[in-house]
Amino acid sequence: MRLGYDERSAALLVAPVLGVLLVVAAFPIVYSFWVSLHDIVLTRPLRRPFVGFDNYLRIFDDARFWTAVSRTTVYTLVCVVATTLLAVLVALLLNEVFPGQRLLSALLLVPWATPSVVNGLMWKWIYDPTYGLLNGLLVQVGLLERYRVWLSDPDITLLLIANAAIWKQMPLAALLMIVTMKAIPEDLYRAARVDGANVWQRFVHVTLPALRPGLMLVLVYETMISIRHFDLFLIMTQGGPGDASLTLSWLIYVETFRSLRFGTGAAMSYILAITTFALSWAVIRFLGKRI
Amino acid sequence: MARITCAALTKKYGDVVAVDALDLEIAHGEFMVLLGPSGCGKTTTLNMIAGLEEISAGRLSFDDAEVTWTPPHRREVAMVFQSYALYPNKTVRENIASPLPLRRQPAAAIDSAVAAAAAQLEITHLLDRRPNELSGGQRQRVALGRAIVRNPAVFLMDGPLSNLDATLRLSMRGLIKRLHQDLKSTFVYVTHDQAEAMTLADRIAVMRGGLIQQLDTPEGIYERPANLFVAGFLGSPPINLIEGVMAGGAFSRGGWRLALPNPPADGRSVTLGLRPEDVMVAAPGLARLDARVELVSPLGSETHLDVVAEGGLKLTLRVPKEWRAAVGDQIGFGIDPARLHLFDRASELRL
Repeated sequence: MRLGYDERSAALLVAPVLGVLLVVAAFPIVYSFWVSLHDIVLTRPLRRPFVGFDNYLRIFDDARFWTAVSRTTVYTLVCVVATTLLAVLVALLLNEVFPGQRLLSALLLVPWATPSVVNGLMWKWIYDPTYGLLNGLLVQVGLLERYRVWLSDPDITLLLIANAAIWKQMPLAALLMIVTMKAIPEDLYRAARVDGANVWQRFVHVTLPALRPGLMLVLVYETMISIRHFDLFLIMTQGGPGDASLTLSWLIYVETFRSLRFGTGAAMSYILAITTFALSWAVIRFLGKRI
Repeated sequence: MARITCAALTKKYGDVVAVDALDLEIAHGEFMVLLGPSGCGKTTTLNMIAGLEEISAGRLSFDDAEVTWTPPHRREVAMVFQSYALYPNKTVRENIASPLPLRRQPAAAIDSAVAAAAAQLEITHLLDRRPNELSGGQRQRVALGRAIVRNPAVFLMDGPLSNLDATLRLSMRGLIKRLHQDLKSTFVYVTHDQAEAMTLADRIAVMRGGLIQQLDTPEGIYERPANLFVAGFLGSPPINLIEGVMAGGAFSRGGWRLALPNPPADGRSVTLGLRPEDVMVAAPGLARLDARVELVSPLGSETHLDVVAEGGLKLTLRVPKEWRAAVGDQIGFGIDPARLHLFDRASELRL
């Protein structure tokens, strides 16, 4: 096939970006899969035998992996459910017209614009056992007798980290919901009111069906990012106390960059990536069909 | 059925008065059309009757019961919207049935009510489709179905045909009129389309600036417009308005004089209204108007002529298709003075 001038110049213009993508995206994907099939331990750099899927099998026998799976599941569920619910509530509030509504909508974006590391540090300070805001507030209003070491309580560590994550990612989700709500024709609400639908019925029969595309986007997106959260764990707990906040991405980090077992680390990354993909696909299939 | 009484009904948005102390009584089973340009307050009035818009002042009664503060669903009204307002995620069947579960009806009653409404509107074959699979006309039939199943005392329609194309509008107009004849409910219908108003209404309320300009039968409004606004709003092509003064018991403009029955006092500034169809072949006993044809627009059933009379007076006239006028022809038209409309130029009221 001979290319015309337009096609050739188009190919030429796209080539640089394509090249960059090959180097920074396609190559790592293929290379990390190659790594996951080899027993690569960085303390013995010259010995890298091919082991097939042994790394994967070894991971499934590893108790730490299953701990991490359960921690990640809890963390992701809390993040996604709370983010989505809060986003809908905030959107319902900000979709109303009241004095200060515009200012509040603008302020909503501040947490979202805060860099993730800054957000982690901020919450670490808030939770701090000696000078933290949370302790100070709760003691002053009398809900707490003495300062607590919040992040060292294995029962609530995950929830406290999730709280920091939700704080940061809820605004974008809420914004998406507001945009979707603004597109709902006012006549639908009027028709429902004439028919005798109360506030709750109007929400269920008019607002919720219209929100479905936005909800799907939020669910997929929040699942994809929550399941892979890393920076908050690095800054706030480093997987602790004990294994209370040992999530998959933290385990991958420990396995790869602390134990220097790159083979198993890469295999775990692949498992996480495939899980993320499968979950997103499931959400789209489940919700997408009903739109 | 219900009689609707609006007493000094007022709606204010801040300092803006959308509806200004409107008095209107709509009889049992009457088809009332609120007609006017956009922003005249007709939709706001309808929304107040529906209960969708809070009433700023005045009283609204259905029969003898005051409903000024009654929520919409307790008023026994059904509403049809210009945008159809169908639930996009529900089927036609579910859309039509949607008011009934809220009114605590048993399932069997709902099924038969939906079936009856669908049959009446000829949409039985569409019952399992969703709104986005329907044409505009079909969607509006579904919206009508949703109103019918409630068996309301009052039907409120907010420009239901405005989103439809011309052919469909014509057939839907017939459908709505038949519906009114069958159901014998009270209809309040808002539109800016004079043809819809004329064909559907028992009485028309022409509105402007939140006030009723004239309330009368379609014939009354067309034959005896109360003021210049009403005269200009109804009629297509619009009425010809000719400014002049009264002199010697006749309307006078430049050199053209037209003797009128019951003329107002001399010296008064007046506007003469001449409907385009109120011209004939010049004949004895008729006033005469000489004009040169500028533009001929044959419509098949009739012909519209744009003519210029002496003094540069431009008029549009409707003549039978048999008139074979050509551009540049000098024609003598006959005008029956009894069919003219005379308005005071300052007050714009009919004389």
